[in-house]
Amino acid sequence: MPSLFRKRRLMVVLIGFIILVALIGFSIRDRASLSTPEKFLQDTVGWMQTIIHKPISVVDHTVDNIQDMFAIYEQNKVLKARLSEYKGVIRENQRLKSDNADLRKTIDKSEALKDYSPIQATVIARSSDRWFEQMTINKGEEHGVKKDMAVMTSDGLVGKIKAAGAFHSTVQLLSGFDRSNKISSWVVREGKEEAFGLIEGYDDESGRLLLEGIKLDEELEKGDTVISSGLGGVFPSDLRIGTVEEVVNDQFGLTKTAYVEPFADLFDINHVIVVDRAAETIEPKNSSEDDDS
Amino acid sequence: MRRYFIALICLFLLVLQGMAMSLLPSNLVYSDLLMTPHWILGFLILIAIFYDRDDTYYSVWHALLFGLLVDVVYTGVLGVYMVTYGIVTYIIHRLNQSVHAGLVSASLLTIVGIALADTILYIIYSFVSITSMTWGNYAWLRLLPTLAANMIFFILLYPLVKDKISSWSEDINNA
Repeated sequence: MPSLFRKRRLMVVLIGFIILVALIGFSIRDRASLSTPEKFLQDTVGWMQTIIHKPISVVDHTVDNIQDMFAIYEQNKVLKARLSEYKGVIRENQRLKSDNADLRKTIDKSEALKDYSPIQATVIARSSDRWFEQMTINKGEEHGVKKDMAVMTSDGLVGKIKAAGAFHSTVQLLSGFDRSNKISSWVVREGKEEAFGLIEGYDDESGRLLLEGIKLDEELEKGDTVISSGLGGVFPSDLRIGTVEEVVNDQFGLTKTAYVEPFADLFDINHVIVVDRAAETIEPKNSSEDDDS
Repeated sequence: MRRYFIALICLFLLVLQGMAMSLLPSNLVYSDLLMTPHWILGFLILIAIFYDRDDTYYSVWHALLFGLLVDVVYTGVLGVYMVTYGIVTYIIHRLNQSVHAGLVSASLLTIVGIALADTILYIIYSFVSITSMTWGNYAWLRLLPTLAANMIFFILLYPLVKDKISSWSEDINNA
């Protein structure tokens, strides 16, 4: 019965195609949280990765340590020279902090946008497909991680939480950002007010972030620092993002676009800090609505 | 018991695939060349060649299951790896019926299988606009490096598992 056999195969192909389209459609939209089976699988694989990661990272660190040892003498000389400068800075910093606290007390405002509590996490894996710029960390909802929180290293911002499982979460790196993940930011300039802009994407070819929507009359200089403004909803303010490299007019000539070199190395990441903002975050009723705005 | 070994090895490769990206030297893994490990597929192609008889489809079922796991753990877009790996192992399974299993035919089938899988992935992902590479760029920057990297893995894997798989297959057939 060759015809019946062929019909059956055609059915399998058609059903397979429908399942493929349905699954892609279900998962590619911006979901508020993962489905339970996905969370379960993510955590199971995550634990296995943690177990295998431990011994390998011990060896990895030992090699790093030995390499570091050769550079210690040189580093020590440089650091000693720096140390004396820092003493003055520390004193000034302390004075400014107490000033700031006093002033806040006089206006009855104790919580600032820049306050946050850090959640330390270790990177246990990265996506094996390079088209997906994401990685897995070993902290999840049980540790207080929520979707859309900022993720940074000691150098600066590296990304945001894409999906939080119970004990592990997925981080979307800055290099995978597009128009649906905007960061409201400020460009800090010497002797002038901050200029406002939105990080709206990543230029693959040059490896730089695109800071768009800067007013035409703002003068930016190469080397100006870009920080988060804290006005976007979940990110606190004053997270270091990068430095301005190049400024161009956008395609319609109405605003300026700056190319921003990120501070953090987006490829060699081992330990990250998930940033849990202290100030209340606005809960979006519908997450996709929030991203469109 | 033996048949669970296949699933266990696949799971191990799945875990390793993601860790390789964070542990291998970053100037190698994160150069302009987008090398993508398809280790699970490489192993399942060997299963299709040396383990499956003409009427058993262990490799295809494992490909569907672990393709879905890759989707959940590493990409977040469900179904793409699942369908791709399923189709490719099925095609390899059919092709294998007409050739004699040996080192040369196995490596040829692996090259064909991985090239096919990566191309299907590229087509699906460009349809849903996850990637916007042109065909020329894709062939030079992703397809060729991916093939090279996975063939290195195949050369390491083949002597390790070939005899084991054949002997498991005989156990199943005799039982």
